[in-house]
Amino acid sequence: MKGLNQLNKGLLRSYLSLVLLGLCYLLLIVPFTGYMHSKPFIEKLGHLPRVEVFQFVAADQKQLVSASLVMKVMMYFGGLMEQNQVKYKLPPDYPAMSRIIHGSVKLDPYNMDAYYLAQAFLVWDIGAYKIANDLLAYGMKYRTWDWYLPFFAGFNSAYFLKDYESAAKYYQMAADLSGQPMFSTLAGRYMHKSGQTVLALSYLSAMEKSEKNKAIKKSYSIRLQALQAVRTIEVARDSYLEATGRQPASVEELARSGHLVKIPADPYGGKFFFEVEGRVSTTSEFTFGKPGK
Amino acid sequence: MFNIMSITLKGIFRDRVFHGILVVAFILPLIPVISTLSMRQVTELSITLSLSLISFILLLLAVFLGGTALWKDIERRYTYSVLSLPITRSSYLLGRFFGNALFMLITATLLGCVAAVVVWLVASGSPPDRQVVWMNFFLAVFFDAMKYILLVAVAVLFSTVSSSFFLPIFGTISAFLVGSSSQQVYDYVNSQPAQTLSLLTRKTASSLYYVLPNFSAFDLKVNAIYGLPLSLKGLFLTVVYGLVYGGIVLALSSVIFAKKEMK
Amino acid sequence: MNAIEITNLSKTYKGKKFSTVEALKNLNLTVGQGEIFGFLGPNGAGKSTTIKALVGLIAPTAGSATVMGVDISSHEARRHVGYLPENPAFYDYLTAEEYLAFVGKVFHLPESLLREQSERVLKLLELWEARKRPIRGYSKGMVQRVGLAQVLIHDPDVYILDEPMSGLDPVGRALVKDIMLELKARGKCVFFSTHITADVETVCDRVGIILKGELKSVEHVDKIMTEGVLGYNLRIRTRNQPELVERYVAKEDLEMVMQKLFTAGDEISLIEPSRKSLEDFFLDIVKGKIC
Repeated sequence: MKGLNQLNKGLLRSYLSLVLLGLCYLLLIVPFTGYMHSKPFIEKLGHLPRVEVFQFVAADQKQLVSASLVMKVMMYFGGLMEQNQVKYKLPPDYPAMSRIIHGSVKLDPYNMDAYYLAQAFLVWDIGAYKIANDLLAYGMKYRTWDWYLPFFAGFNSAYFLKDYESAAKYYQMAADLSGQPMFSTLAGRYMHKSGQTVLALSYLSAMEKSEKNKAIKKSYSIRLQALQAVRTIEVARDSYLEATGRQPASVEELARSGHLVKIPADPYGGKFFFEVEGRVSTTSEFTFGKPGK
Repeated sequence: MFNIMSITLKGIFRDRVFHGILVVAFILPLIPVISTLSMRQVTELSITLSLSLISFILLLLAVFLGGTALWKDIERRYTYSVLSLPITRSSYLLGRFFGNALFMLITATLLGCVAAVVVWLVASGSPPDRQVVWMNFFLAVFFDAMKYILLVAVAVLFSTVSSSFFLPIFGTISAFLVGSSSQQVYDYVNSQPAQTLSLLTRKTASSLYYVLPNFSAFDLKVNAIYGLPLSLKGLFLTVVYGLVYGGIVLALSSVIFAKKEMK
Repeated sequence: MNAIEITNLSKTYKGKKFSTVEALKNLNLTVGQGEIFGFLGPNGAGKSTTIKALVGLIAPTAGSATVMGVDISSHEARRHVGYLPENPAFYDYLTAEEYLAFVGKVFHLPESLLREQSERVLKLLELWEARKRPIRGYSKGMVQRVGLAQVLIHDPDVYILDEPMSGLDPVGRALVKDIMLELKARGKCVFFSTHITADVETVCDRVGIILKGELKSVEHVDKIMTEGVLGYNLRIRTRNQPELVERYVAKEDLEMVMQKLFTAGDEISLIEPSRKSLEDFFLDIVKGKIC
């Protein structure tokens, strides 16, 4: 009887400590999760080891590691977007993102997600057109069947780098690979300055439609809104030019003269203005996180 | 040898190794969900994940089954009762090896088939730009199994050298890591920028390359994921390489094991 | 042909720090067919070393041995041997029945004979009820009996048993002795090691005593028994006394005492030899009294 009592006591003690520890866990998990959540993004992206280390440790899982690196960048980028739809809390660590993407294609040069993501942020957000095109050229050596890579490179060359010769070459490649002859005419159209916004719009709306990833889609749609605003101002500017025979001095003048019903807002939070040669630009430079806007 | 092989296989099944595999394999049905995280290559990602998971399971099996195949028998004193039967040491060793190898092959086949169904489901949900080349997929699984069977042979060699638990396990893991990157090191050492390294370093690296197993040759994941064409000659050479290298490792193990004293 | 022939067998182990341990020194021994040979010695004397060399678990440093005429360096020598290791362990995920089937197949027993033999030995060793359970759940005595079953299943010519009685209860010990005697009757050779002299006394034809790797003595058990007579206990009824008197007489005095009693006309109701037991014999050797 006494022995039984002893046994029960021991068991009771075990249960009690289990309950107590469970409570401790519950108390702990809230601040712990909070801490992990509030950790600055920069820390979450982390300082990754050199790609040579990955190449060794990844052993025969290089494709998996490559994919997970891209995922990491994407989650980080997507996290920033969702946190604040208008403005980034912190300026994204673009150099780190670029470094990881470059490491990722070293592990798996076929990883399309990597090129795609790189094209999205390298070009539009930081204007690293040259880096982006070098990366795309690297990818073209491997993904020899893929028309997207030359299509991206062609767009970058024509729209940003104004290198129409390369653009024509890339678009021809894209046309050959995809069997869609329309690409070969694109380069020619970019040479006309006024055509740029229209074609950028068509490029972006095509990209936005086919995008399934929410974060990336969001970034495209904001970009699209901005370009639509630019296009609206451009149309107003052109009709002003036709009516008065001279360039408008400012966007506000277009509104005052009635050529522009309402000054469109820059989704990046900047203000539109005319550059000296009449091009529509914005103080935000079409990006979040630029200082001094 | 076949008797040893069949009781080895029986032992693996009775020890519920397969239950363990099933637990890990429960991740397979999750792959379609994870794959949708990809922006541009959902099917490709599903193939990557499936093949990686299979590889991972086979790696664990190779390390733990291969590394403990002899250790367990010695530790539990089964060797006294088995090695005193009228069988040679090498037929015992080969029986243990082929029992494990056969189990790996069965596992790879089963997991490969389930993974194929998963990939097929994903591919029909979001059709990839390039058709999935099923031949490459199954070849990748098969070559993966072959690679890990070769690793089992290496693990068996380690177990004949030492009857401790840790040397075979850690030795096998390091052999795997080094064997997976030996090609890279070799390529680097023979590249232009590496010519600044000392001659000794380069010679050592090159000679190690010829001694150590080359596992990267068996890695056809990239061909399976992106449907890249395979070289028939390359595949043939790889198979022959695997057979010859495995043969050498097993022969060496046999020699060492034949001299081992069951005190 | 002798069942076992051991010639100049030596075994040296490498110890720690370049030292060597001579586990066995120049062992010479033959055991015939139809003979039960007891190998007696204290722990660590070299019994197991001898046996492990015979069944190929260790390689002798020098010398040779044959079993049924086949050199022990060939695995074919073991085809004639049923070996029971000391404190045996068997693949414990198998059932007794499965393990016997495995052993039977290794010895190339035909399927029908295997089934028949399996049933016979399982019943003989009282494992029939437990035959479908994995060995994992067996008691120590049951595992020992599985060990005996796997020795008997293929009906070899030579039985090499390392401490066959250990782990068995008195009933089990008696059973093992019966089995040994039955094997002997069928012309089989039984070679077993033990450190218990009583086991040897009851069943063995000959006994070998090994000490520190050296074979000290090989004797017929009968001879030890006769030579070991030290004296006699007599029960005498003298003429003037009605009660019985017990008297111990030394071996060399027996004739003289008998003569005296005879002339005195006393009646001898019992003569009982008083002898040294095998245990005493063994202890004498261990203590170096006999060499």
